[in-house]
Amino acid sequence: MRNIKIEGVTKSFDGDVILENLSLMIPGGKFFALLGPSGSGKTTLLRLIAGLETADSGKIFLGDIDITHMPINERRVNTVFQNYALFPHMNVFDNVAYALTIRRVPKDVIEQKVIKVLRTVHLDRFIYKSIDLLSGGQQQRVALARAIINEPDVLLLDEPLAALDLKLRERMLVELIELQDQLKTTFVYVTHDQFEALTVADYMAIMNKDGCIEQVGTPKEIYEFPTSVFVASFVGTTNIVHGTLHIYDGVQVVEVPELGKLAVVAPADKVWAVDGNKIAMSLRPEKIDISKTALEGFSNMLRGVVKSIVYHGRSTQYNVRVSDDLILQVFEQNEEHFPQEVIDYDDQVYLYWQKENVVLLNQ
Amino acid sequence: MNIVARIKSACMRESSFFMALPAFIWQLIFLYVPLIFVIVASFMKVDEKLSLGALTLEHYASFTDPLYWVVIGRSLLLAMCAAIACGIMAYPVAYYIALRATRWKNVLLFFLILPFWINLLVQVYAWFFVLEKNGLVNTVLLKLGIIAEPLRLLNTPFAIFIVMLYCYLPFMAMPIYSILERFNQRLIEASLDLGATPWQTFMRVTLPMSLPGLKTGFFLVFVPSFGEFVIPVLTGGGKKLFVGSMISLYYLDAGDTQLGAAFTMLSGVVLLIVSLFLNWLFKRIVRVSAGGQ
Repeated sequence: MRNIKIEGVTKSFDGDVILENLSLMIPGGKFFALLGPSGSGKTTLLRLIAGLETADSGKIFLGDIDITHMPINERRVNTVFQNYALFPHMNVFDNVAYALTIRRVPKDVIEQKVIKVLRTVHLDRFIYKSIDLLSGGQQQRVALARAIINEPDVLLLDEPLAALDLKLRERMLVELIELQDQLKTTFVYVTHDQFEALTVADYMAIMNKDGCIEQVGTPKEIYEFPTSVFVASFVGTTNIVHGTLHIYDGVQVVEVPELGKLAVVAPADKVWAVDGNKIAMSLRPEKIDISKTALEGFSNMLRGVVKSIVYHGRSTQYNVRVSDDLILQVFEQNEEHFPQEVIDYDDQVYLYWQKENVVLLNQ
Repeated sequence: MNIVARIKSACMRESSFFMALPAFIWQLIFLYVPLIFVIVASFMKVDEKLSLGALTLEHYASFTDPLYWVVIGRSLLLAMCAAIACGIMAYPVAYYIALRATRWKNVLLFFLILPFWINLLVQVYAWFFVLEKNGLVNTVLLKLGIIAEPLRLLNTPFAIFIVMLYCYLPFMAMPIYSILERFNQRLIEASLDLGATPWQTFMRVTLPMSLPGLKTGFFLVFVPSFGEFVIPVLTGGGKKLFVGSMISLYYLDAGDTQLGAAFTMLSGVVLLIVSLFLNWLFKRIVRVSAGGQ
């Protein structure tokens, strides 16, 4: 499968620069997610790959072929649009068959292929139904079927599940993963929902508000080893604590005003992590243990007061004030069927975490 | 619940009906009742005293004369030409204003509907300056040396057609515009994305989806221009008879109410049948262009 290579692409609308000198490699045959907040230019990037927009400068390659100026209808790239963009004057069959009808493929071949692809997306029962009689989830599947029938090299998905309810979204995510596995087509999935991105992606890229790629990696790398404060706080929930790094005889600590010294591990590849440098720490709420009693075996301990408790169902979030200007979020898995320590508002608690769970970030 | 409250709540529930009532009554008294008079009159014998007498079909019997059918056929042809030409002219304009024009959209729209604001007679006389012997067209063509002698433009079927096209263009453009304005342009992108050329996209997506607007526009032009009276009389020189001028001849000049009524009925029925056929044709076109079979 051919990689997509984006080299120094710049795109602006009416003098408003959306993407500036952006470079990105999207590996072929993989499920790739582009995650970023609204207005980060991720949809623009997708439309550039699709050919719906032309780059002001820079180049886009599909494999070895420069597709920067290739007309949209000649690219072996198909798109699932955000609101599906199904043809309302055609039924399911004609929508799905569209790409083949255009190429004057023989009728019997079209029929075979349409039935096959509709079976793939579990929609073969609705083959001659009118589009407006379908539910949102079914329309989503039609859009998917229509885009994959031509066996494109790349399938672009622009927030494809945004209009669906949570349960359906979770099911569609699993089906998308299975579909990608089956087709081996390169999927490029644009979303602002970190849950969706983490679920589907083999690799993902995080875009920030300025249209720059902050980090590229596997979902696990992105979540566990973010390289910037933006990525750490955009993907998942985290506590960001600012301090100064000190190294005393090889022992690495971060000194935080009012809290004192916290033990950390500075990996060798983080060259900026030198003694005396101002840094930020990312500490995921689920990596912190909360207890009213003193425990042994943790490299870090802080004392605090519970300011608020939010019940999430599978976990409970405690917001614990540890200093005048710092509140740490803590997630604790719920376990109501066995006796558990009861923690209430204004309780004095201890927070524990291992130094390996702290990610150091350059400020 | 007491009776007053009941009536009150019924009035609330049916308030939209009561609001519509004046229009219904107005139409009934001033349109449908006179129309019934026309229908009745077309079947009435007239005696010397001009009082209405027994029922008869004798007025209709005179329509065996091909002259009447020539007039109806000519009007149908003119209406058809006007409607088709309006469609061809108006579609690109509506398309451009609805989908492409950005900054000048409202200005262009204003110029498109401006003829609505001007009295029909003023519009028609404005065309005199263009079409007459020393008018704009002839002057330009003479100056350019394309023609040696002024062309006869006014008082020809061509003049009727041109002025009609101009007067009815907004009626065609507006429905198409309103359809295209709501048109989801992502559909064009989807079509291109699936490998269609811009032309294929237009033929398979944009045009089929704007057919309802074309159809509305077609009938808005076709039906009134079939009975159009002012334009043929003023710009056609009254040499060729059309349905509208024929009816006015009977009613206003000859005073033959019965025959006029019968001819009105005949042309009305023909128009109805042709319109129903065209309506059916449109539906078929929509189905074929959507289904491909």
